[in-house]
Amino acid sequence: MRLGERLASAVAYLAVVLIVAALVHLIVILVIPLVATRDAYARLAGLGPVGATIALQRPSPSETRLPFGDPALASAFCRYDLSNGPIRVKAPVGRAGFASLSFHTKRGAVLYALTDRAATHGLMEAVVATPAQMRDFVAHDDEDNPSQDLRIVSPTNQGFVLMRAFSELPSLYDAAQEQTEGLSCAPEPLPR
Amino acid sequence: MTTFVKASLACALGLALGLWASRAILAYGAPFGVVDIGPWRVAVTAGSLEADPYTRAELERSGEIPLALGEGLQLVARVDDAGRLLNPHCTYRVGPRTPAARYWTLSLVDRNGFPIENAAGRYGFRSSEILREGDGAFSIFVSASAHWGNWLPIGAVRPFLLVLRLYDSPLSATAGGIEKSSAPSIERVGCA
Repeated sequence: MRLGERLASAVAYLAVVLIVAALVHLIVILVIPLVATRDAYARLAGLGPVGATIALQRPSPSETRLPFGDPALASAFCRYDLSNGPIRVKAPVGRAGFASLSFHTKRGAVLYALTDRAATHGLMEAVVATPAQMRDFVAHDDEDNPSQDLRIVSPTNQGFVLMRAFSELPSLYDAAQEQTEGLSCAPEPLPR
Repeated sequence: MTTFVKASLACALGLALGLWASRAILAYGAPFGVVDIGPWRVAVTAGSLEADPYTRAELERSGEIPLALGEGLQLVARVDDAGRLLNPHCTYRVGPRTPAARYWTLSLVDRNGFPIENAAGRYGFRSSEILREGDGAFSIFVSASAHWGNWLPIGAVRPFLLVLRLYDSPLSATAGGIEKSSAPSIERVGCA
């Protein structure tokens, strides 16, 4: 073989290596969310049933369920499954400090979030529904007396709601914890 | 035959390279979907439905529940102002101001995002509990041995990260809009 041919074939093989590497990398990145068994939802699922309000332990060296938690925040969550119907989420707002509700899909994407600034009558409240259930709600809406509900469409049936409450001082952590335990995720009847 | 062997070898090499690159990128943080503000790094889309595939894969892998855009912003530093990796043998001064937020917290975690055990039992500071100077400026000292003022202990000789969270910040939705000068600096004061 002449030198030129050998060089050409070496370059070709190098190209094969790089193309295969790029493809493998792309597939790995895109497939991880589909096959991850230790994602946040899976970690929460081990703590209790769908619909129940469950308090999360305060982040500490011995509490290694969820990384990057804030030790100043108390949190509680409930998992939802909309295949049985929509849910209504309610969370009480404390007298002081920051509190928030965030809605996550099973795959870890954040759907929506609201803070205590958006609370009315001391409650952060929202209805979570699938696109089909949402159409049902809208079809039954009374035009003269529109619904006051904040409605959130979830593209997936399963997901979870997380409530966070800030404690201004270490001594107020227990009060924040108690506040998050007031989170409720109850079935919401569809209009008929 | 030799062509077949060479091609297979090239594919195998590509596979290995692709897997290694994916692992390395997820371990050290993807250069996509992030904004660097001085030593701090923000995953700008982590808290939204539009998270890019790298951010999504990283979240799924770590199991972290990200802060939603409407709740706040999480800034993570693995280096100091000069770009040197944070070193557990050194003393750092963090301050004197943070971007606008209703509350903020600064905490210290290991590479996996978990607090590091320390004798003082202190894993972070809240904006509502720190000692400040007359004009509201603050200094938080990050060091292994006790320090006057706001002391955030480094509990063990291993790599660590500093996490700054801004709750209910007007900057939440526009991470790209944070001025470098408004982010706290991480100044290396000395090393043992």
